[in-house]
Amino acid sequence: MSNDEAKFILGAYRANGRDADNPLFHDALAQAKKDPALGAWFARAQAHDAAIAARLREIEPPAGLRESILAGSRASRGTQPGWRFPAVWLALAASVAVVLAATFALWPNRAAAESARFATFALDDTAHGKHGGHGEAAGALQLLLSQPSTRLGAGLPVDFAALRATGCRTLNFAGHDVLEVCFQRNGAWFHCYIANCADFPAPRADAPPAFAQKAQFASASWVDATHRFVVVSDAGLDAVKQLL
Amino acid sequence: MSSEVFTQLVDAHYAALYRFALSLAKRPADAGDLVQQTFFIWATKGHGLREAAKAKSWLFTTLYREFLHGRRRESRAMSLEDLPPGESDVAAEDVDRAARLDAAAVVAALQDVDEVFRAPLTLFYLEDLSYTEIAETLGVPIGTVMSRLSRGKAQLRAALEQEEAEAKSKVVPFRGAQGRKQT
Repeated sequence: MSNDEAKFILGAYRANGRDADNPLFHDALAQAKKDPALGAWFARAQAHDAAIAARLREIEPPAGLRESILAGSRASRGTQPGWRFPAVWLALAASVAVVLAATFALWPNRAAAESARFATFALDDTAHGKHGGHGEAAGALQLLLSQPSTRLGAGLPVDFAALRATGCRTLNFAGHDVLEVCFQRNGAWFHCYIANCADFPAPRADAPPAFAQKAQFASASWVDATHRFVVVSDAGLDAVKQLL
Repeated sequence: MSSEVFTQLVDAHYAALYRFALSLAKRPADAGDLVQQTFFIWATKGHGLREAAKAKSWLFTTLYREFLHGRRRESRAMSLEDLPPGESDVAAEDVDRAARLDAAAVVAALQDVDEVFRAPLTLFYLEDLSYTEIAETLGVPIGTVMSRLSRGKAQLRAALEQEEAEAKSKVVPFRGAQGRKQT
């Protein structure tokens, strides 16, 4: 396989790692590991793809769209023939268009959305990521995080460079490294994501934590003087809040 | 299909469907209509599909078909044979630029990519579907998906560079003369 062929195949390899077990990519991935030039190209291509995918995930559907879909479903069940009357559907579509126009004007600015984007990234990774790869330094942090007496919001001893260098799972968010450490508390698993404040616009260190929910996963986000944190779990929002 | 199951289906897929629709239709209102129309068709025809994985592919396929049915035929249809090969090199500056630009700029650049490349490219970046699922969704061979991804990425990098140049110039360009392609 030439490097051009390998590039052609690796161009379809998703940056979130979900194709890691797909045999189609095995040979091309192996070649990228052996060939420094191809490996460097692949690293740049993956970073580029990850940045684009992250930006695309930031696009939120307009408020009201979900409710309109569900309302349409209820109308369908209650008065099935009504779905087939164009006037009913057009009226629904028109009302949605008004909602869309109003909400699109309120598109959040970049700075305000940065924390939400990082939390969404963490929520998605918890749902789809392949967790593991903790090194020695991460093991120590993992142990600390697992202690019931540890209050995450009170400050954590994070040596970002040491964690990364010793095998802590490292992801790419918007072109920058993010570390992830899994830990267990009271029988539930939690996933702590750590980024350098210097890499992203961040709220003030004294800003209150923010909470979010996506599907069965809940998250808490906060910052200290040097790092941004998101912790995610499917144990519920209350369990996540209790960590802080 | 129960209300609860339908709600779960909507919650699982409507955001990704909206992002896909926005890249195709360009206008938020049209994208919202496409998503609604897709779930409307599901409610009336698609509820026999029970596997979640098939439901996801079905929804993306149906949305894409609805988009193709709804849009006007363009007079300047371009055959794939006329298109230049994709430039596979990714410079470090490309990576930095993608990280610098905000979501609106990236979506605008994506919308500048030729439509034939835009659909597989958006599905690829949504990261929900594998390349085989993208091929099934769009009804094209796997090799075609890979080829379109390669060419689409090259167009996207060029469009991102243009987006950044326009942002830096702080001058509203006269798009009719040199701006985006009218797709």
